[in-house]
Amino acid sequence: MNALARRLRDSDLAVGAVGAFGLVAIWEIAARTGLVDPQLFPSPLLAIEMAAARLTAETVGENLAWSLFRVFSGFGLGASAGAVIGIAAGWYRTFGMIARPLIELLRPIPPLAWIPLAIIWFGLGEPSKFFIIFLGAFFPVVTSAYHGMRSIDPMLLRAGQTMGLGGVPLLFRVAVPAAAPDLATGVRIGWGLSFGVLVAAELVAADRGLGYMIINERNTGGSVGVIIVGILLIGLLNLVTDAAIGAATKRWIGRWHGT
Amino acid sequence: MRARLARFAVSAAVIGAALLAWELAVRFGYLKPYQFPPASRIARGFVELSTTGFPTGVSIWSHTLVTIGRVLQGYLAALVLAIPLGLLIGALPFLDRLTAPVVVFCRSIATLSLLPLVIVWFGAGELTKIVLIAYGCFWTMLSNVIAGVRYVDPMLIRAARSFGVAGIELYRTVVLPAALPRIFAGARMALGVGFMVIVGAEMIGTIEGLGALIMEARTFYRSEITMIGMLVIGMLGFAISSGLAGLERLLLPWSGSLDEVRR
Repeated sequence: MNALARRLRDSDLAVGAVGAFGLVAIWEIAARTGLVDPQLFPSPLLAIEMAAARLTAETVGENLAWSLFRVFSGFGLGASAGAVIGIAAGWYRTFGMIARPLIELLRPIPPLAWIPLAIIWFGLGEPSKFFIIFLGAFFPVVTSAYHGMRSIDPMLLRAGQTMGLGGVPLLFRVAVPAAAPDLATGVRIGWGLSFGVLVAAELVAADRGLGYMIINERNTGGSVGVIIVGILLIGLLNLVTDAAIGAATKRWIGRWHGT
Repeated sequence: MRARLARFAVSAAVIGAALLAWELAVRFGYLKPYQFPPASRIARGFVELSTTGFPTGVSIWSHTLVTIGRVLQGYLAALVLAIPLGLLIGALPFLDRLTAPVVVFCRSIATLSLLPLVIVWFGAGELTKIVLIAYGCFWTMLSNVIAGVRYVDPMLIRAARSFGVAGIELYRTVVLPAALPRIFAGARMALGVGFMVIVGAEMIGTIEGLGALIMEARTFYRSEITMIGMLVIGMLGFAISSGLAGLERLLLPWSGSLDEVRR
């Protein structure tokens, strides 16, 4: 075996790519030779062909943009609110005593279960979707921020106080950086949840977005190809954004905790 | 003990005060009762739900049982498939490297986005919901089983090797017990995923189950019934996750640092 082949064999990326391409190739061959019904189980390439025949790239792009806009803004609001409330509840005792029971009471309710109530409160328009995505991000972030604040090494706080820090500067210069790893975990979980919730909200009640695109295709009896392309797009989008958020939070924590 | 009691009392007082403020805000007309049904109305709704039922004839208990039944079927199917497969992939590092991208990608597909496809394949009936739950649980379970087996502390394995344990014997007596905490944590996470998925899956194409209940109630402007449904879903989820956590402590007393695993 020569050097190049050995290096390829040792690289996770190359081996993984072989696995993934192998799977797609088997599916592709099975669909093309009629081993499985290509109308029901179209392979990725066939699905893209079928989808291209039914939808323009513009329509897909527009739905994609709507989904991204919803998830980013809902997540941004939810994660910020969660971080602020979680940190405040961990830092100020009285506020924590009031906020904690209410959060713990509502936390076990999955965000999807809020969909009907969101529609009652905000109607069928955009705000109800933002609200549900907001909740998807809010609860993981608020709990992890609180947990992070409560498990700070007391030595760090005492050291900060010895050096003359107190009150708000102590909170932002010592406590929040110390709680950052927990907070980052919550942000990552919250992102995954927001994304899953987004698709569900778009399936149940929306008139645009990727979730709407695929459920509409099935309701109008369109092609399975469009549905598969939509699903793969949603998965890819989740994968890419999750990796980006993971890298961003790692850099952010790295400022205090090393990488 | 005393501190815990005091904390419990404060929590109860805070929740009580919030309910009272809500009730008063509705009485004085600051909040619309249709949008924010007060506690008294929710209590009356609960009596109706547990006796006559909503829609008539289907009580809250049978909704709950239907939902639990669906979750359990999908969940058990996922465990039966994921545990052997995960143990196999975890034991063969090359297989793990070969399949890792596929597992990661399938895991990041939002389970409910498969709903339209699964309806095309299996129709809009029971099977569709169970398949969706099984899908969500399967990938969560699979990746945890693989990780559990693969990332066993190498020190343990080296120690066992120096005692002359190897092969299947090593796998059975050292790797498996060391991987069990992670596998159990995966089983717990998977059940959580199942409960997330079922609520969404029941919102389409059925009138039985808690997800269907809260959606139906909204259509008939019965927001208090929606809220009861949400509370029942929340309590169910809470009871199951704390029950499993207790079971875990009972069955796996050697898994000390589970907080690390839970992340």
